[in-house]
Amino acid sequence: MGQDAFEITINTAKMLVIFLLMVQLVPVLVWIERRGSAFIQSRLGPNRVGPLGLTQLLADAVKFLQKEEFLPEHGQGLIFYAAPVMALIPAALAFASIPLSAPIHINPFLWNGHKFGPYDFEFQSFHFGVGIVYVLGVSSLGAYSLLMAGWGSSNKFSLMGALRASAQTISYELALGLSLVGAIMVFGTFDFSQMIQFQSQPLTSLLGVHMSIPAMNWGIFYQPLGALLYFASTFAETNRLPFDLPEAEGELVAGYHTEYGGLKMLMFYIGEYGHMMVGSALMVTFYFGGYLIPGLTVAQVHSHLATWLHLGANPAAIVTALALHVVFFIKVFFFLWVFVWVRWTLPRFRYDQLMDLGWKTMLPWALANVLLTAGWMLFKGMH
Amino acid sequence: MMPLFAALALLIFVAIFGSALLIVAKLLSSRAKPSKVKSESYECGLPEQTTGNTKTPIKFYLTAILFILFDIEIIFMYPWAVSFREFAARGAGLYIFGVMGVFLFVFIFGLFWEVKSRALDWE
Amino acid sequence: MDLTTILFLVLAFLIITFSAAVVILPNPIYAALSLAVTMISLGFMYFLLQAYFIAGVQLIVYAGAVMVLFVMVLMLFDLRKEIAAFSGSKFSSLLKILCGLFFTGAIIIAIRQGVIALSVSAGEPTPAEQIEMVKNLALRLFTQYVLAFEALGVLLLVVAVGVVAVARSRGGTHAHHN
Repeated sequence: MGQDAFEITINTAKMLVIFLLMVQLVPVLVWIERRGSAFIQSRLGPNRVGPLGLTQLLADAVKFLQKEEFLPEHGQGLIFYAAPVMALIPAALAFASIPLSAPIHINPFLWNGHKFGPYDFEFQSFHFGVGIVYVLGVSSLGAYSLLMAGWGSSNKFSLMGALRASAQTISYELALGLSLVGAIMVFGTFDFSQMIQFQSQPLTSLLGVHMSIPAMNWGIFYQPLGALLYFASTFAETNRLPFDLPEAEGELVAGYHTEYGGLKMLMFYIGEYGHMMVGSALMVTFYFGGYLIPGLTVAQVHSHLATWLHLGANPAAIVTALALHVVFFIKVFFFLWVFVWVRWTLPRFRYDQLMDLGWKTMLPWALANVLLTAGWMLFKGMH
Repeated sequence: MMPLFAALALLIFVAIFGSALLIVAKLLSSRAKPSKVKSESYECGLPEQTTGNTKTPIKFYLTAILFILFDIEIIFMYPWAVSFREFAARGAGLYIFGVMGVFLFVFIFGLFWEVKSRALDWE
Repeated sequence: MDLTTILFLVLAFLIITFSAAVVILPNPIYAALSLAVTMISLGFMYFLLQAYFIAGVQLIVYAGAVMVLFVMVLMLFDLRKEIAAFSGSKFSSLLKILCGLFFTGAIIIAIRQGVIALSVSAGEPTPAEQIEMVKNLALRLFTQYVLAFEALGVLLLVVAVGVVAVARSRGGTHAHHN
């Protein structure tokens, strides 16, 4: 039980820290979105509260808390209140199983006269071997939150928005699931850690040019089409522009959250941004080498940091893990910025165009990607 | 069991966290002044016309059920994809490609037929 | 009590409670949502049984697709008459009790006649071993049971054709205008 109790403590702590990290990143994301939108549209954006408007979201949260809280007349109380809670769950469960940094190995050490270690520590709340299957499974639960919100509010706009949103989410789930098949074939695993291990090998050739860049064997060089299809379907999964039909304000007011206000609305936002984070983190893990720095293996980063900062092996391992966290989040934030960028670049689709794109364009292309990958792997003798 | 424990604990924690947020919002919110107009369904400020239940196109149902069928086909490609390298390494690459080729032929035929029969059209 | 037992008890409690709720609740939407919770708990139960891939499939297909369809369809239709018909009538209560008894009997017979051949290994497989388990599954599926696998593809195609045929018959929104 001693080992068990220690493991339970560590796992609980990791779980709490990673979940709170996700929730805490949402205000930063909202700030990026608002300031980024303002930047693209040549206006100022929120700049009064705090430096660069950074504490705007804190002020917003206080305002959200003071909003009057009421149930619409025909609303179904239980489902109406359960929907925003349900919105948080899929993103939180999915994000927790993605490795945020390299696992660190702590050598045995003496502290306070007691011997500790050796410890191996992974930077993810839990490590399922079937990583991506688990993530797709919990992400597919997102449709319940939309349907519950739409039906629980008993409002025509909400219900129509919920139906549109869930039909769109499930349609693009096909393209999303299928676009990842090619990457799984290349990596030969479901496990995120093994995928990153694969990508940490040196890149030996690209477009016929021979080279050797360490830690640069990224999925994007094997699966350019798959990466594009995956990222496009992520936009539809998260109901973002140009696929934000459920919230098309010209037709449906605000879609499934028409009747929601105050903190309940904020919870839907946390869910939506959480989904964006999961989508970007998967994009980084699958196609852009996860936490890897191009040109430097994890061992090299460890030894360089130990020499520069004059640290022992154990502190250097911790500093390395922190540095790789930063690298991972820089990559993730780049893709989150692309979400904002695309929002102000592409106009919204019409609903029939959206469904056509999902079923008649992206699904066949994803299938073609699978067949092409299989043929190419057989041709090149990759095994 | 540790990953499962962590996942379930996270599930329960998020549910409690969300419910706690709702309760905090209820406690801190300004005193409710209920009125007939306020609690009506929001229909752009006009007096309420419908009570939520309206007729909806059967297309949504069709889309959902076709989604299930394709989802099952795609989930069968996952074990295939993960073991493709192993089969190829044992010299059975063409065999495993052919197995999925036949399966995909049926899949593509189905998709093609649905496009042809206009089942996927949204006018 | 070790962790495995506690997790099993929690999941079993969830499964039994919510599947009972599916039968008892008169409102079909609440019943469908309870069934969704049952499916999710079953998915986690498969993780406990170390059937990792099946657990993911349970979450993706049953919880994420089939139950979404159920909930969506129930929300599409105005079900007041059906709710009234199914709540409180003696016939439906009788039907529920009979079905319950039938399945209880079936389960008891299955447990008595079945041989418990599978035991879960004590130590938890490492992530690499979990992937090996999936690869074993794939090996069986694509060699020994390959005919069943291909037949399943055809079966799914037949179902798709049937769905489209049903959806466009008798002058629905999708019928031919001629």
